[in-house]
Amino acid sequence: MDNQIHKTHRPAQSGNKAEKKGKGKQQQGFNEKAFAPKSGRRAERQGRRNVERDQTRLHVPLVNRTPDDAPPPVIVAIVGPPGVGKTTLLKSLIRRYAKQTLHEVKGPVTVVSGKKRRLTFIECNNDINSMIDIGKVADLVLLMIDGSYGFEMETFEFLNILQSHGFPKVIGILSHLDLIKKKAMLSATKKALKKRFWTEIYQGAKLFYLSGVLNGRYPDTEILNLSRFISVMKFRPLVFRNSHPYLLADRVEDLTPRETVRISKGKCDRTVTLYGYLRGTNLRSSTKVHVPGVGDIDMKSITILGDPCPLPDADSEKRRKLSEKKKLLVHAPMSDIGGVVYDKDAVWINVPGSFTRGNTDVYQGEGEQMVMGLQDVGATLEDTVAQSKIRLFGSSSNHLTVDNVPKRTSESQILEESGSEEDEEDEDDGADQDFEFDDEDHEGIDEEDEEFDLRSDVNSSDERSEEATGGHRLDGGRPTVRRISRPTRDLLPKSTQHNSIVEYADSDSDIGYSDQDHPDNWEGQVVYPDNDHVHNIPSDDEEDEEAPTWKNDLSVKALATFQSHSKRKARKDWISLIYSSNLTPEQIVNENAANESPANDPVDDFFHIRTAVFANDDDLDMTKEAISQDALKEWEDDVLLESIRNLFITGERVVPEDSHKNEYEDSEGGDYEDLEAGFDPPAEDPRSKSAEVLAAKKEMLKRKFDEQYDDPEDTKMDFYDEKKDEINRQLQLNRAEFDGIDSEARALVEGYRPGSYVRIELDNVPCEMIENFDASYPIIVGGLLPAEERFGYIQVRIKRHRWFARTLKTNDPLIFSLGWRRFQSVPIYSLDDHSIRMRMLKYTPEHMHCYATFYGPVALPNTGFCAFNSLNGETAAFRVSATGVVLDIDRSVQIVKKIKLTGVPFKIFKNTAFIKDMFNSALEVAKFEGANVKTVSGIRGQIKKALAKPDGAFRATFEDKVLMSDIIFLRAWYSIQPRKFYNPVTSLLLSDKSRWAGMRLTGQIRRDEGLKTPLNVNSHYKPVERAARRFNSLKVPKKLQAALPYASKPKLMKPQGKQTYMQKRAVVLEPEEKKAIALLQQIRALRKDQLSRRKEKQHERKEVHRKKVEKDEVKKNEKDKEKRKDYMRVAGIKSKRDTDLEEGNSRKRRRT
Amino acid sequence: MAQTGSLVHFHGHQYLRQRLVLSILSGKSVRVDKIRSDDKNPGLRDYEISLLRLLEKVTNGTVIEISVTGTAILLKPGIIAGGSVSHDCPLSRSVGYFLEPLIMLAPFAKKPFQLTLRGITTDDNDLSADLIRTVTLPHLQLFGISDGLELRIKKRGAPPEGGGEVQFLCPIVKQVKTLNFVEPGKIKRIRGIAHAVRVNPQFSNRMIDASRSVLNRYIPDIYLYSDVYKGEESGKSPGYALSILAESTTSVIHCSEAVSKPGVTPEEIALTATHALLSEIRQGGCVDRKHQNLVLLMMILGSEDVGRCRMGEPSVRTIQFLRDIKSFFGISFKIVPAEPSEPSSTELLFSCYGAGYINVNRSLA
Repeated sequence: MDNQIHKTHRPAQSGNKAEKKGKGKQQQGFNEKAFAPKSGRRAERQGRRNVERDQTRLHVPLVNRTPDDAPPPVIVAIVGPPGVGKTTLLKSLIRRYAKQTLHEVKGPVTVVSGKKRRLTFIECNNDINSMIDIGKVADLVLLMIDGSYGFEMETFEFLNILQSHGFPKVIGILSHLDLIKKKAMLSATKKALKKRFWTEIYQGAKLFYLSGVLNGRYPDTEILNLSRFISVMKFRPLVFRNSHPYLLADRVEDLTPRETVRISKGKCDRTVTLYGYLRGTNLRSSTKVHVPGVGDIDMKSITILGDPCPLPDADSEKRRKLSEKKKLLVHAPMSDIGGVVYDKDAVWINVPGSFTRGNTDVYQGEGEQMVMGLQDVGATLEDTVAQSKIRLFGSSSNHLTVDNVPKRTSESQILEESGSEEDEEDEDDGADQDFEFDDEDHEGIDEEDEEFDLRSDVNSSDERSEEATGGHRLDGGRPTVRRISRPTRDLLPKSTQHNSIVEYADSDSDIGYSDQDHPDNWEGQVVYPDNDHVHNIPSDDEEDEEAPTWKNDLSVKALATFQSHSKRKARKDWISLIYSSNLTPEQIVNENAANESPANDPVDDFFHIRTAVFANDDDLDMTKEAISQDALKEWEDDVLLESIRNLFITGERVVPEDSHKNEYEDSEGGDYEDLEAGFDPPAEDPRSKSAEVLAAKKEMLKRKFDEQYDDPEDTKMDFYDEKKDEINRQLQLNRAEFDGIDSEARALVEGYRPGSYVRIELDNVPCEMIENFDASYPIIVGGLLPAEERFGYIQVRIKRHRWFARTLKTNDPLIFSLGWRRFQSVPIYSLDDHSIRMRMLKYTPEHMHCYATFYGPVALPNTGFCAFNSLNGETAAFRVSATGVVLDIDRSVQIVKKIKLTGVPFKIFKNTAFIKDMFNSALEVAKFEGANVKTVSGIRGQIKKALAKPDGAFRATFEDKVLMSDIIFLRAWYSIQPRKFYNPVTSLLLSDKSRWAGMRLTGQIRRDEGLKTPLNVNSHYKPVERAARRFNSLKVPKKLQAALPYASKPKLMKPQGKQTYMQKRAVVLEPEEKKAIALLQQIRALRKDQLSRRKEKQHERKEVHRKKVEKDEVKKNEKDKEKRKDYMRVAGIKSKRDTDLEEGNSRKRRRT
Repeated sequence: MAQTGSLVHFHGHQYLRQRLVLSILSGKSVRVDKIRSDDKNPGLRDYEISLLRLLEKVTNGTVIEISVTGTAILLKPGIIAGGSVSHDCPLSRSVGYFLEPLIMLAPFAKKPFQLTLRGITTDDNDLSADLIRTVTLPHLQLFGISDGLELRIKKRGAPPEGGGEVQFLCPIVKQVKTLNFVEPGKIKRIRGIAHAVRVNPQFSNRMIDASRSVLNRYIPDIYLYSDVYKGEESGKSPGYALSILAESTTSVIHCSEAVSKPGVTPEEIALTATHALLSEIRQGGCVDRKHQNLVLLMMILGSEDVGRCRMGEPSVRTIQFLRDIKSFFGISFKIVPAEPSEPSSTELLFSCYGAGYINVNRSLA
C-alpha cells in the first residue's frame, strides 16, 4: 500500500494555463485584499468569530502558589492494569533521563529533566487505594493501555477518580501494539481506542503508541518523543492542591528506639520520619497532617534538608562538564540505585560481582566502593580512635570524601592538613551526595546530643563569650553534619548569586551587622548556628530575652548581649519581644517595668502581697484604653499642636510625602526633641536628600503628566488582564517580603515553602505502618486546614455512577474519598421537598443528583469526592459507586421522613367524630391540636381537643360526615440524624493492603454467619380478605312517595307473570320444508365425512415428511460436530503456542 | 462529637473575648482556668457569662463547660451559624463589649448576621456604638466585607440604666481580601458625632464648639454632628458623649471618644476627646490603635499571600493578641520599623503570610 506510486502532477506546457502562469496576481506577492471580507455581514461574522475564539483562551485566573524559581519536581504517575508495561516504561524513562538502568524500581524516583524541571516518577499498582492516592497528587498521569487487549475496568475507575479530585494532565500510552500482527487491524484498533480515550478525557487528548520492547526497554526514539512531550507539558494549578500543603514521601525511616521496640515486641507506637519535596502551599509546623491509609497525625518537627536532586545551576553545569564519569542525578531512596537499597530499618548494599579488589570490569557503585573501602582498614579500631576518625576515611576511595564537610567542621585542624586537594574533589562531588545524607543524619543526631550535654555544663556567660570569639568551632560539629555545602546554598534566599559566602554576607549586612570572623573556605556552614540557637531557646530563658531568633548569627548574638548589658537598644525588637520572651504585654509596652523583674509567677514566695492581682482585677478586658488626663495636658501647648500639622493635608504639600517628615524635623528639630525625650534625628547628608526629593518630585510630575495626556483607553486593561496582573503583583510581593530573612525565621513566619526537601517527623504512628511497609504503595502526607481537623455533618450533592450496577440505600455504609482522606461513613440520602423540608430518600434516584448527609471529617464546600461500596480488588464490576461535591458543613441536620399516625372513629356525630388509637395520652393530643387529619376516602378534618375518657382519644371535625369504617390518618414529619459513624480506611497498616474491609452490611453479616432474616409477623403479606359490602335497598315511605312528583317517584314494576305470545305459540312444518331440511342435513354429514378423510390423508403425508427431515437433521448435526471438533483442535494448538510464547517472555497475564 | 481538634490552655480572666473568638475561628478548643481564682468574688462576671451565652446563640454545636466555682471554662467551638439573633446585654458592660467579638466572627458565619443587642450603647470601657458604626465597620471594608454591612442605632442608652438598642447586619464572605495598607496619607477630614440624651440638647452644641476650637486650626473640612434622640429612643439614663474621627487621603481612620462623667463640663469632655484624637493621629500608622486587633486578625485570615499593614506601636492588648494568634493559628508576624532610615519614627510594619482561611460554614446549596 505504502509504496504505491501516484501519478505526479505535470504542469501544462502550452495552452491557456501556461500562458497565464507567471503573469497576473501571483507575481505581486501578498495580496492583502485576499483575506478581507467582501460584505459587511461577513465582516461582522468574522469579527465575532475572532472575538469568540479569543474568549476560549480565557480561564478563571488562579493563583499558582508554587514558586517559580525552585519548583518541586513534577509528579509523573504511571498508571495501568498489571502486565501493561508500566515498569518497563518507568525503566525506559529513567534510562532516558538518568542514563542508568534500575533493576528494581520501588517508590518514587526523582530525576532532573531540564533547567527548570525535575520529575518524580511513581508507578501505581493495581490497588484502588493506591490509585486514589496517586490521583490526588499526580501532576501528570501516563495512563497505560494494553493495545492488544483494550480498556480495562481499572482504567475507567482511575479516570473517574481523577475527575472527582481535580483532573491532572493525562497522556494515554498504548502498549503491546506489536502483538497485533495485521496492519489493518492495528490501525482499526488504534482508531477505536483513540476514540474512546478522547471521549473519556477530551477531544484531542494526547495518545502515545509504544511498539515492542527492545532489550527490556521501549524503543529509545519513542521514549525520547514521550519525554519531549512531558518536558513541554504545562500545568494548571488545581484548586485543592493549591490550598493544601502535601508531600509524596520518597523515603521512610523508623526512629523509634530499638529497645522500646524490643520490649514491646514491636507493638509500640513508632516515631517515623518521612522525606520528600513539599508541594502545594506553605507547610506550617502547626498544621496537622493526614497520611492516607494511616490517619491523622501530629507533626513533631519539620526540618529542611539539602536538596538531594537539585536543579542544575551555572556552577554544577561547569562541574558536570569537567568530570567524565559524572552521571545525571537520580534520587530514588527506595530503589536500588548505586547498589544501595534503603530498607525500612537497614541499608542494603548490592554487589554484582564480588568484593575482590581491582575488579574494574564491573562498575562499582558507591555502596560497593564504601564497603571495599572499609576492607582497607589498615589499623585496629583502637589505633584509629587514638589518631582520628578522619584517618579511617582518609584512606578510603575518593567517592566517600563528601563526608569531609562534617569532618572539617568537627576537627578544624585536620581541615588544614587535608589540604586544598580534597577541597577540589569535594566540589566535584557536590551533586552526587544524596546518599551520604542518611548516614550523616544519624551521626548528626548523636553528636547533637553530646553537644547539648556539653552546653549545659558551660556557664551561659562563658558560653556567650566563647561563641563570640570562636563560636564556629564549638557549633560546627552539630547539625552541620547533616548538610553539605551544596544543599545549604539552596537554603539561602538568593540562589542566583554564584558565591554563597557573598550571599550570606549580604543577608547579614541587611540586618546590619558585619561578619568579620567567617573564614572564606567555610562556605554555607555559617547558617547552622541558627539551628542550634533555635534549639536552645526554650531551654534557657535568660538568653531569650536578649537574643532575637531572627538575627541569629553568633556574632550578632554576641553583639546583642553586649548591647543589652551596656544600654537598652534604641529600637525595640518587637518580633522577639512578642514571640520569644516571657515578658507580659504590659512589661513590653512599659520598658521600665520590664527591667525591674519578670517575677510574675504565682509560686514565687510563700508570703506574697498580691498587689498585682488587685491591679488585674481592675482590668476589664477593655478595648478603649483609659485616657489619662495628665497625658493629654500636653496638648494645651500650642507648639505641640502645631507640630502635627504636617500630618494634615493643610501641612506643607509641596514636598512629597515620604521626605516630608524629614524636612519638618530639620526645620523645627529643637521643639521636637524636647517632646520626644531626648531624641536626636540623624544628621543626613543634605545634598543626597535634596537630590532624592528632587527625583521624587520629578517622578510625581511625570506621573501626573502621564495621567493627563495618555490615552485612557490605551492603558485600560480588561477584567481578565487586570485580575492576572493583580495576582502577579501579589505573588511578587509575597516573594519580596521575606527575601532578606534567613530560612528559620522565614519558616516561622510563612511556613516551609513548596519545593524544599523536608524531613517530617511524625510521632505516635501505628507500628503496622512500619511493620507492613511496602514501597510499592505511595505514602502521602497531606496537610489539613484548621477546619478539616474537625468533625461534623457533611452535606453533599451526590449522584450514583451510571456504571455502578446497584442503587445506593440510605444507611448503608459507603467509602468516601474526600479531601486527603478515605473513610467509611453512613450516609442518609435526601431530596429537597419544595424548599420546605429536606426529605429522606430510601434509595438514590436514577440518573439524578440527590443530597447525602453523613458524619465525618469536614471538607471545604466545593470539594469533589468519589465513593465506593467496596475497595476490594476481587470485585469484578465497576467500583466507583457515586461521585459528588461537598455543599455544606454543619453540626446538626434537618432531614425528615414521613410518618403517618392512624386512628379510627369510635363515635360519629354529624361532622364531628371521636377518634381513638392515634395517640396514647392527652398530652400527645395537646401537641397536635389544630393539626390536619384526613380519612382514606379523602375527607379532610382537624384535631380539636383531647377527650377525657379513653387515653389519647380526641375530638376532630371534618368537612363531611365520616364513616365508622374510615381510617383517619395524620401526616407528620419525623426528623432523623445520620449515624455518627466514621471509619478511616487504614489500608497502609495491613499486611495485605488490598484487603481492607470496613463495616459489613446486615445482609452480608447474615450471609457470612449463616443467619436467617428475622421475620416480623406484622410484615407478612397475606391475601386481603374483604367481606362483600351489602347495601340495603332504599325504601321511600308510601306517604312521601305519594307526595313526590311523578318524575321523582320510584318506578318499580313487578316482573311479568304471563307468557308472551312469542313464547306460547306452536310451529308446524310443511312437508316440503321438512324435505328440504332433511336434505340439508345429509349434505352437511357428507361434507363432514369428506373433510375428516382429507385430514387423515394429509396427516399421513406429513408423517412421512417429518421422518425424512429428522433423518436429515441427524446427519447435519453429525457434520457440525465434526466441524467444531476440528476448529477446537486448531484453536487449542494455537493457544498453547501463545502461552508458551508468553512464558518465554515471562509476561504476566492478568485475570480474564 | 469526636473532636480531634487540639486544646489551647490559658490562665486568668484577661483577654477572654479574643481567646473565645480565636477558638471559634480556628476550631480549637480552649480552656481557661484560674479566672479570678484569687479574688474575693471569684469566677466569671455576669457580662462574661452573658457573652458566653451570646456565643452559644450565634453558633451551632458549641459546647461550653463552666466549672462549679466558675473559675474555669472549656469551650469546644461549633460552627458560626449567624442568622437573626437578639440578646439582652447586662448593664455592667456596653453593647460594644459584645459587638466587638461578634464583628470578628460575623463575616465567617453560615447565614448573614442580623443581631439585635439591647443595653448600654456608650460607655467608658468599650467602643461605643457610634465608633463601631463609623470606624470599625470601615475597617472591615478594607477586607472586602462591605455590601450590607451596617450598624443601626435604634435607641441610645447611657449608663447606668441603659435602654439602648442596636442592630448589626453583616454579610458573609468566602474569603477576606489580603490587606496591603502601608500608605498613611494625610488627614483630610474630621467628622464627629455629639449626642446628648435626657439632658439639655445644648450640651452637644457646647461639645462641638469646644472641639472645633482646637481642630479648626488644621483643616476646614470638619463636620461635627449633633445627634438627637428623643423620648423612647433616648434610653433610660441621662448622658452625653462626643466621638470624633479623622480620615486621611488614603482612608486611614483615627478616632477617639469621651463620655460624660458626673461633675465634668461638656467642654472638658470635648477637649479630652479632641486631644485624644490628636495623640492618636500622632501615633501614626494606617490603623487606629483600638482596631489593631481586628485588622491583624483579618490579615491572618486572608488568602495565602503576604499582607502588610503599617501601624503605630502595638498596645498591650495587641501584643497579647499576637501571642494568642500564634497559639491558635501558629502564625507569627514579621514586625519591622516602617521607616528604618528614621530612628525617631515609632511606626511599625506588620506583615504576615495569611492562613488561607476559607469560610467553611458558608453553604453552597
